[in-house]
Amino acid sequence: MGRLLLLAGAVLISLTALMLLLKRRIRTMAERYQQTPGRFPSTRGILMFLLPLPVLFAAVASLARGDLGGLFDNAIGYGLFLAGALLLRRGLRLEAEYDRRRVAKAPWPLKTLGGGVVALATGLTAWSGAHYPPAMAGAFGLVALLGCYLSYGFDPRIAKRFTDRDGVDVTNRVLEALTQAETSIAAIEQTTRDIRNAELNSRLRRIVALARRILTLLEEDPRDLRRARKFLNVYLDGAKQVTEGYAKTHGRVATPELEDNFRRVLATIEEVFQEQQQKLLEADVTDLDVQIEVLTTQLKREGVI
Amino acid sequence: MPDYLRKFIGLLLIFAAVGVASCEALWVSCCTTAAPPAALAPHN
Repeated sequence: MGRLLLLAGAVLISLTALMLLLKRRIRTMAERYQQTPGRFPSTRGILMFLLPLPVLFAAVASLARGDLGGLFDNAIGYGLFLAGALLLRRGLRLEAEYDRRRVAKAPWPLKTLGGGVVALATGLTAWSGAHYPPAMAGAFGLVALLGCYLSYGFDPRIAKRFTDRDGVDVTNRVLEALTQAETSIAAIEQTTRDIRNAELNSRLRRIVALARRILTLLEEDPRDLRRARKFLNVYLDGAKQVTEGYAKTHGRVATPELEDNFRRVLATIEEVFQEQQQKLLEADVTDLDVQIEVLTTQLKREGVI
Repeated sequence: MPDYLRKFIGLLLIFAAVGVASCEALWVSCCTTAAPPAALAPHN
């Protein structure tokens, strides 16, 4: 009876911990959804977290029975499953980023590595936890690896390169500029949490959203980077410095003048960012207009219209 | 092979390998009795 109670208690504790973890995860996902609608992580790869749960329960049962060897084996097996699932999910996220961008380097092969770790965990659990002979346990591992490959595939190996009008490969330069811009936006977002003023916070959130939209436009068409150089090098960096400076200062000295100045600067930044976004959108329209004009002229010359 | 069929077969294989191995581990863990510590073993 005592053992049963102990077992039930251990299972309850682990279930509660898992639920809390899931709740926190869902909340984080919801926050991300609010900030960047295009980057909501899918549920792909969640299965690899759920399927090995019996191994965790086996470890708890071994603990309740006082079986140290069983506890050790199952705990290592579950740890490996968890590591594999995390690597796989991270790999899936990197692959989604790679698919979304027009210019990208080949991501780290985390998905393949995760599949390998899951296969190892399956083989180890089949051998030490379920007491299958080593050859059979190896077969379990191979089936798991094949399943991961068929279901999730291997990682992309080819970089998506970008060359400018002169034919020069500028992939690294483009990626560097985008990463730097993303870092600046993340820094502004982080600093917003230190500022306790609802109005300024909502203005900063709008600026961050605008900056992300501009960055998405640049990621979709890196030719626009030349047009947005001032935005990336001057405005975004300036916005970051001003926000960080205000967050540091307003904690020590709270003056209405400082707040007014900061409010005015934020209004200007928002205006400039809106103009930048509009410019990029108009440039796309102009490009399309030019293409239509060229095509029409060619068709007229050939007597089609 | 169509993409959905490949993914479906992959999921089946994952269920077969990971699901069976982990459920077997739980089964073995619940059914086998661990040897009691020497101090608690019955003395004849």
